[in-house]
Amino acid sequence: MRPTVRPSVRPPVRPPLRRPEHGRRLAGVAAGLAVHLGVARVGLVRLVLVLLVPFGGVGLALYLFWWLSVPAGDPWAASAPVRPGVLVRLARRPAAGVPVAVRRWPVGDLVVGVLLVVGAGLLLARRAGVSADVSWLLPTIVLLVGVVLAWSQLDELQRGRAAGGDAAPTPRRLSPVLRLVGGLVLAGVGVLLLVGDATGGGVEPGTLVQSVVAAVAVLAGVGLVAAPWWLRLVRELGDERAARARESERADIAAHLHDSVLQTLALIRARADDPTEVARMARAQERELREWLYDDRSVPGTSLAAELRAVVAEVEDTRTGPEGQAVVVDAVVVGDRVPDAQTAALLQASREALVNAVVHGRPPVSLYMEVSPRSVEVFVRDRGDGFDVAGIPADRFGVRESIVGRVRRRGGTATVTSSPDRGTEVHLCVPVDGAVPADVPPAAPPDTSHDTSHDVPPGPRAEPVRPVAPAGAPEQEVR
Amino acid sequence: MTETRATAAPLAQDGDGVSVVLVDDHHMFRAGVRASLDDRVRVVGEAASVDEAVAVVSALRPAVVLLDVHLPGGDGGGGAEVLRRCAPLLGTTRFLALSVSDAAEDVVAVIRAGARGYVTKAIDGPALVDAVVRVAGDDAVFSPRLAGFVLDAFGTAAGDVATGDDELDRLSAREREVMRLIARGYAYKEVAAELFISVKTVETHVSAVLRKLQLSSRHELTRWAAARRLL
Repeated sequence: MRPTVRPSVRPPVRPPLRRPEHGRRLAGVAAGLAVHLGVARVGLVRLVLVLLVPFGGVGLALYLFWWLSVPAGDPWAASAPVRPGVLVRLARRPAAGVPVAVRRWPVGDLVVGVLLVVGAGLLLARRAGVSADVSWLLPTIVLLVGVVLAWSQLDELQRGRAAGGDAAPTPRRLSPVLRLVGGLVLAGVGVLLLVGDATGGGVEPGTLVQSVVAAVAVLAGVGLVAAPWWLRLVRELGDERAARARESERADIAAHLHDSVLQTLALIRARADDPTEVARMARAQERELREWLYDDRSVPGTSLAAELRAVVAEVEDTRTGPEGQAVVVDAVVVGDRVPDAQTAALLQASREALVNAVVHGRPPVSLYMEVSPRSVEVFVRDRGDGFDVAGIPADRFGVRESIVGRVRRRGGTATVTSSPDRGTEVHLCVPVDGAVPADVPPAAPPDTSHDTSHDVPPGPRAEPVRPVAPAGAPEQEVR
Repeated sequence: MTETRATAAPLAQDGDGVSVVLVDDHHMFRAGVRASLDDRVRVVGEAASVDEAVAVVSALRPAVVLLDVHLPGGDGGGGAEVLRRCAPLLGTTRFLALSVSDAAEDVVAVIRAGARGYVTKAIDGPALVDAVVRVAGDDAVFSPRLAGFVLDAFGTAAGDVATGDDELDRLSAREREVMRLIARGYAYKEVAAELFISVKTVETHVSAVLRKLQLSSRHELTRWAAARRLL
């Protein structure tokens, strides 16, 4: 098994020392070393390590040292953040493909097994009459268990960081403290037993207590002296993290500006002779930028207001007025709630009404949605010449079925008022159960901005916007 | 500035059109606004920062100040800071806030600091002149968005209707009706026709709502403003 070296994606820089998750036999030390040193065959590294074992256990010691001190992770991924964030965004590193099932040795089980086997062997040896002096063994085991317990959380921490990225903080739990305290107690007991054993077991309890007190006092003194330094270290770490977060946010915004705004500007310049297209691109870009700057982007599927704004964006992007001009919809939303089947039908009807207003009416087109505990109302208005509502032929499917029918089937009402001098207004109202309250914190004003929501991820605006799902809740892409 | 105080009034009523001071930190935008205004208004001064704005407005005492919400300088308070520092002038000079941002915190900050209205920079020339003239006549200018925010802040449930005229924390049924129509995109004239009342009455209702928005201690508004350190 030798998948550790992937020449195709290996950057020219030397990857940092990491213990890779795949391709490891025990803890990934040899594999990581091979990658770091650029040795093509990981077996060679393993061989060297094994060969070093007889020389006073150097191989073993090195292995253990690296195991403890080298963080786990993908060496190639670790070498990526060296480049500035913008570049990362621009030229995305090819992903590692499908997640490989990480093969892991059950280290914990192995250790327990070895300990049990050793214990059994000792018991057998004792029974066989071999009375080797093994009194040091128990304290040593206790000590080792304590040390392993304390060190194990380091590995855990690194694993959590590797899994959740740098930004994900390790959740504050009791278990690290317990581990640390348990490890300390065990190690202390082990040391005391060892010392007691070494001095021939003749140590008086009083002396022991005295020495313990002295040791604790020394530790406390050292801690007191080292505390400022340690505090400064912690603070600097926090500062550095904050700076990095700011930096990454700035890189994000810069990348976004590059991805979308510059691109749109280039497109606009290229198509300067097409006013409709230019106006539409500018509008779409404005919407997107506003969303970036002002909106609290809501979780998909939780905000009716956001879904309505997505519908507005789709109509603005795909429809033009009677003279072929781009039309801006002035959307105002009051209140918000979690979307359900009722509001989905209302959204569909609103979309049809909006398309009618944009295509057949005259701007400005206004959209107003009011969410109250018992009902959701939508008004769509244009300033066109109006039409005779009673004179719509029964076979005209547009208004009658897609707007009125949709809402009526949900127990709602739909009225269309139209006059030559005041344009057309469609009023839709759908009852909703009051059990679902608006899912917005009262401190946040629900409609903060100008129909800014557009749930297409930042990117070139040239591709057609996908149509709203024909039935059910409108689809939302996870950002 | 003290020497200009005595001569302030004549400037504001100088014959041809409403005197206006433009406050915006973008020269291009000021030029654009200047070009889009017609002869019903007269631009008497411009300013590009908070301190400059306070000085110019105090010196010129225009009838209307077109005030950008986001301004450099001063203590970083932007348009709301200009309004606070010009508070003694609010009796004679009206402020109309103008911003590219539709964020509610911007709207409310300037309205509560004393602006008589709020329009976005997407507004076209004639509509902007209309708004300026309206504000100069001591009326309030409510865009659909501002009306939407008012409805949001004061609540739309049935129990939120004010019973007395002196109640600051709730809208009366009529005021809410007017706000809803404005939010639906109706002009004041259309609102009047729809409700069978005069345009003057609509203006009265809108001014009453503006006063409530400025003075109300309605807990949503207060908490919301406190969270953004507006108060």
